[in-house]
Amino acid sequence: MKRVRLPLLLLMLLLPLTSSCGFRDIDKRFFVIAMGIDQPSNGAKGFNVTLRLAVPSPKIEPGSGKNQVVSIQATSIAEAVRLLKAHVDKELDFGHCKVFMLGEGLARNNHTDMLRWLSRRRDVQSVAYMAIGHPDAKSILNIAPPDERYPGNTLFLMFGKDGTQSSYLVPVYVFDFIRRTEERGIDPVLPIIRAEGKSYVITRLALLDKTKLVETITPAQTETYSQIRNQDSKSTVAAVKDGDTMVINVDRISSHYKIVKANGEHVLRLHLRVSGIFEEAPLGIYEANWDKLEELFNEQIASEIEKLFKKVQHAGVDPFGFGLRYRATHAGSPQTWKDWERIYPNLKFDIHVRVKIDGTGLVK
Amino acid sequence: MLNRIEMLFAEARDLTLNRLQNGNLVIEVAYIATLCDESKVSDFILVPFAKQEIPFEDAVKRNPSFKRLDDPAKWAETILHGFVLLQLNGVVYKLDVARIIRNENPQTMVETVIMGPQIALSEDLIDSVNIIRSRYPSEELSVEERTIGTISKTRLLLVFDKHRVDANVLSSIREKLERISDPIFTATGELVRSLGDRYRLFPSMMVTERPDRVCTGIEDGKVILLLQGSMFAIVLPSTFFDFMHAVDDSYDSFWMTRAMIVLRYFAALLTITLPALYVAIMSYNPELFRVQLTFSISGSRSAVPYPSFVEVFIMLFMIESLIEASVRLPKYIGSTATTVGGLILGQAAQQAGLVSSIMIIVTSVVAISNFVIPVNNMSTAIRFLKYPLIIPAIFFGISGVALGMFCYLIYLSDLRSFGKPYFRLFGRTQLQSGDIGQVNQE
Amino acid sequence: MNRYFYYNIVLVSLLNLMLFVPYLLIQHRYEGSIMSMACAAIVGSILALLFTHVMKTYPGKGLPEILTLFFPKFLAVPFMLGCAFMWLTAASIVLYTYSVLINRFFNPDTSSIIVLTFMACVCLYGATRSMFTVIVVMEVILVVCTPFILFVLFKAVRSPLLDWDAIRTVAHYWNRLPKVKPFASSLFVFTGYMNFFMFNRLNSPNFRIRFRWFIPVFGSLILITSFFVPIGFHGTDGSADYLYIWSVTSDSLVMSYGFIERVIFVFLLLYLMLSLMFATIGWHLAMELVKSCLPQPKKPVDPAKTPRSNWVIVCVFVVMTITYAYTFNEKQNLEITSYWIVLRACVEIASVLFLFALSLAGSGKRKRLET
Repeated sequence: MKRVRLPLLLLMLLLPLTSSCGFRDIDKRFFVIAMGIDQPSNGAKGFNVTLRLAVPSPKIEPGSGKNQVVSIQATSIAEAVRLLKAHVDKELDFGHCKVFMLGEGLARNNHTDMLRWLSRRRDVQSVAYMAIGHPDAKSILNIAPPDERYPGNTLFLMFGKDGTQSSYLVPVYVFDFIRRTEERGIDPVLPIIRAEGKSYVITRLALLDKTKLVETITPAQTETYSQIRNQDSKSTVAAVKDGDTMVINVDRISSHYKIVKANGEHVLRLHLRVSGIFEEAPLGIYEANWDKLEELFNEQIASEIEKLFKKVQHAGVDPFGFGLRYRATHAGSPQTWKDWERIYPNLKFDIHVRVKIDGTGLVK
Repeated sequence: MLNRIEMLFAEARDLTLNRLQNGNLVIEVAYIATLCDESKVSDFILVPFAKQEIPFEDAVKRNPSFKRLDDPAKWAETILHGFVLLQLNGVVYKLDVARIIRNENPQTMVETVIMGPQIALSEDLIDSVNIIRSRYPSEELSVEERTIGTISKTRLLLVFDKHRVDANVLSSIREKLERISDPIFTATGELVRSLGDRYRLFPSMMVTERPDRVCTGIEDGKVILLLQGSMFAIVLPSTFFDFMHAVDDSYDSFWMTRAMIVLRYFAALLTITLPALYVAIMSYNPELFRVQLTFSISGSRSAVPYPSFVEVFIMLFMIESLIEASVRLPKYIGSTATTVGGLILGQAAQQAGLVSSIMIIVTSVVAISNFVIPVNNMSTAIRFLKYPLIIPAIFFGISGVALGMFCYLIYLSDLRSFGKPYFRLFGRTQLQSGDIGQVNQE
Repeated sequence: MNRYFYYNIVLVSLLNLMLFVPYLLIQHRYEGSIMSMACAAIVGSILALLFTHVMKTYPGKGLPEILTLFFPKFLAVPFMLGCAFMWLTAASIVLYTYSVLINRFFNPDTSSIIVLTFMACVCLYGATRSMFTVIVVMEVILVVCTPFILFVLFKAVRSPLLDWDAIRTVAHYWNRLPKVKPFASSLFVFTGYMNFFMFNRLNSPNFRIRFRWFIPVFGSLILITSFFVPIGFHGTDGSADYLYIWSVTSDSLVMSYGFIERVIFVFLLLYLMLSLMFATIGWHLAMELVKSCLPQPKKPVDPAKTPRSNWVIVCVFVVMTITYAYTFNEKQNLEITSYWIVLRACVEIASVLFLFALSLAGSGKRKRLET
C-alpha cells in the first residue's frame, strides 16, 4: 500500500491544474479552413477579415461538406479574429487553416501588414498555401463547391500534390512567401484565384515586390515560369508551324542558368532542355525532319522566355531569384548586392533551348 | 507413536492409525487414507507383514523405499504429503504411497502454438520433471527440492543446468525463497508475487505451461521453479524481450516470424498509448492529423455530450468487462457474451451518441493488439498500463503522453530481474571488450 | 562498450538545436560563423581524442576518482562542483527551452511553468536512477529516435523547397575571421564525450575505444545541417528572424503520404524525448558529482535501492530550474544561454586539457613504477 500512496498523492496534486490547461474537445472547436484578408470596402483603415469555417458533419458523401463564412472589419487582423470569436459558438482553431488569401486590392496596396500577423501566430502552418483572390478574397471564400465531401476539400486538393497537378498553378507556401519577402535577390509570387460559377480557377501568377503586387502574367507565361523555376514536368511546350499548333508533352525538363560577364556587360545565360512526345500535331509529322521541328520549337520557346524575362525585368521584380544566384556565385560582401542592384535593370538575356522529340505518340 | 500423532491432528476421519500384531512382532501404521493409495499400503506393509514369507524386519531393511525418519517433528508433515509412517521395533520408517489426483497429459491451453509440443507440464512434479528431462537429457540438469509455505509446505523444485546457470542469480533465488513466509501456496502466481513481483508493473518472472519454453530457458541458463499442484512453471530471470517472444518464432518461417515480432512490439505500443492519444488528440491537438480525418472525427463526435476522457472510460469499461466476462463464463457461453457485447453494444453506443465511431475502432484496436502479446502475464500487465497514461493526456495532451511514455521507459530500464537488467537492448551480445558496469569500485 | 560512448556523442550533437546553437550561428552568418564552425570541428575533435586518452589511462574511474589520485579533497571539491554546475545548467536550460516550445506548439493554453514542473518531475525520476539504468534508457531512446530524426534531416536536405542559392550565398562568407560566440556554440556539438567524465565508471578495464573518426565526421555533418538547412528554407535574411529556427524549419516540411502530415509534430515529439533524456543525464551526472563531494561517498554503479541522497540533490536541482524559469523570461534565457555557452566552452577546453595533463602524469608515474 505504501508504494501506491505516493502516485495517488501526486495525482491529487495534479487535479487542481485541470482548470488551467486548455482542455477543449474537438467538437467544441471551429476549424478555420481558409482565411481571407481584404481592404475595407469604404476606404477606411484596417482590414476586412473573412474566415471560412468547417461545419463538421457525420456523413461522408459528395456535397455533405458544410461551411460557414464569417466576415468582419477591424483595424488589425488580431482584433478582427478576436471580434469574430464573438460571432461563433465554438473556439476558433487555425491549426487546419491551409489557405491564406489576400484580396487583390490589398495586395496591390501593401501586403506587409498581413505578414506581421501571419509570421507570429504559432498555430499558422508554415506549409499553408497563399494566394491572391480576384477580385477580392471574400467573394472567393463565399463560394462553396456543391460536391465537396469535406468542407474546403476542393481548395486543399487543388493546391496540394495529391489532387490535380496543373502546370498553371504554382503553389506558394507561407514560409516561402515570407522568405521571398525578406530575401534580397528574389521576390515573391502568388497564384491568383478567381471564381467561375460555383468553383475556382487558378491560372495566372501575380508578381510582387517586397511590399505590393506589381504585375500579373498570362497562363502561358505562368507555365513557363514553373518550367524554369520548378522544372515542372507536368507541362507542355508548344510551337506554331504553318498555322498548325504543335504541342509536346514534357517528359523531362531541366533548366540551368548562370550570370556571366561577356563583352563588359552582364548576361544571364539560360539553358533549358526539354524532351517529350507530341500530344497534338498534324498527321504526318512522323515523316517530317525532326531536327527542323526541334529547331522551330527552340526558337519559338526561346523568344517566349525572353519576352517573359523582359516583362519581369521591366516590372522591376525578380521572381526567378536571379539576384540570389548572382549573390551565390560572387564573393560574399555587401558590395555584391549593390552591384546587382545596378546590373539587373540592364541585364541581357541569352537563352538556349534544346527541345528533343522522343516520339509522335500513337500515330505517325 | 500413534498417540502422539493422534494428538497432533485435529479430529479427522481419514486419519488411519493401526496397530498390528503378528506373533510377537508389533508394528504401528499411520497414514491419511484419502491421500494414499491403500493398495500400496497393503502390498508393501500389510500383506508382507501378515504372510511373513521373509522376516518382515528384513524386508523393511532391504527395501530402499522405506526410509528412516528419526525426527518426530516431521511426522505430521510427512503424513500430510502422502507418506505412510511405520514403526517397527521403536524405529520409524516412512514410505511414499501418495495417490495424487491430477489431470492426465494435459494439452497446452493458455499458450497455444500451431507447430510445437502440444503437451503441457503436469500438475504433478514427477510427471513435469519427466517431461523436462526427456526434452533436456543432460547430466548437467540439476533438480533441487525444497518446500515453501508455512502451512501448505508445498513441494517446490528448482531445475537448472548446473553449468549454464548464473551463480549470482541462483543464490539470490535461494535467498529469496528462504525469506518467504506466506502460509499457503496453491498457484504459481502466488509464488511470483512473494518473490518480489507484487507491486511491479511488469512481470519479471515468466509463468508458462510449455515444456519447450522451459527447456530453452534451462539452456539459456535460467532457473525453473516447479510447484506441486500447479501445471505452470516459473522461468527466471526473464527480460522484457522474452515476454514478447512466442515459441512459434523459433519454429516457423524466419522472415514472417521476425515480422511478427515487430508487429507485437507495435501492437504493445498501440494498446498502451491509443486511449491516451485519443484523449490528447481530441482535446488538445486536433491539428495532428490530416484535415480530412479531423473533420470526419469531429463530425462523428459532434453528438457526444461528454468530454473525450469520459467517452474513453465508458468504452474501456465496456471492453474490459467483456474480456473479464468471457474469461469467467463457462466456455460455451463465453463466445456468446463477446458477440453480444462487441457487436450490439458497440453499434448501439455509437448510434445513441454516447461514443464516437472512431472510439469504437480505438477500443477494438486496443483490445485486439493486447491479445497479440504471447505470454499471458505480460499481456495482463500491459492491459493495465493504458490507464495511468490517460491522466497526463487529460492534463497535458500529446506532450503528456510522450512524458508518460518516457516514465515507462525509465521504469522498465530500472527494473532488474534477479540482478539482470530487464530492458536492455542488445544485452545478449558477448563481446570480448567487456560489458559496461562490470567493474564495481572498491 | 564502444556504443555507449557514441550514444553520448550522438545525443549531445543532436541536442544542439535546443541550446540555440543554430540561432547563434545564424546571427553571425555574415561575420565568421563558417570559419568558427571549422575551428570548432578541429578543436572539438582534438579535445575528444585527448579525452579518450584519459579514459584509456583510467579505466573505470570517473572524474572524482581521478582527482583524488592527485589532489586532496578540498582542492578537488570546487572543481567537481564547477563541473556539476555546468551539467546542471545545460540540462535546466534545455528543459526550460523545451517547456516554452511545448507552450508554443502543443499546449498554448497551459502555462510553461506548469509544463516545466511536470517535465522536471519526470526527469527527477529519471535522474535519481542508477547510472546503469540511465545509460540503458539512453540506448533505447536513441535507437528509437535517431533513425526518425535522420530521416527528417534527410528529407529536409532533399526537399525541392530548399534554396541552394541561399546556402551558397552564405557559404561565400567563409573567409571571415572566427568569433568567440559562434565558435563556442559550435563546439557544443562535439562535447558528447564529456559525459564520460562520469560514465567512465561503467567501463571495464579492457575497454578500448574504436571508430574515433566517427566523432569529427558525425559532429561536422550535424553542425553543417543545423546551420545551413534553416538558411536554405528561410533565406539568407529571413532565417535570422526566427527564435526557434528548427521548429519552424521542420514545419516547412510535409510528408504528403505520412500518417501525420506535418513533420513538425513528429520532430517535436522526437526532440521532446531527446531533451528529456539529455536533462536526465545532465542532472544525473551533476548529482553523481555532488554526491562524490559528500563525505564518504559510495559509488556502486547499479545499487539495488535508490539512495535518499539522490532524491534530495535532484529535488534541489528541480527547484533551481523552476526558480530560473520563474525569474527569467524568454529573452533573458536566450541571453544567458549565449553567455553560458561561451563559459561552457572555456570550462570544457580547460578541464579536458587539465585531465589530459593528469593522465600524462599518471601514465608516466605508472611507467616509472614498472621499470
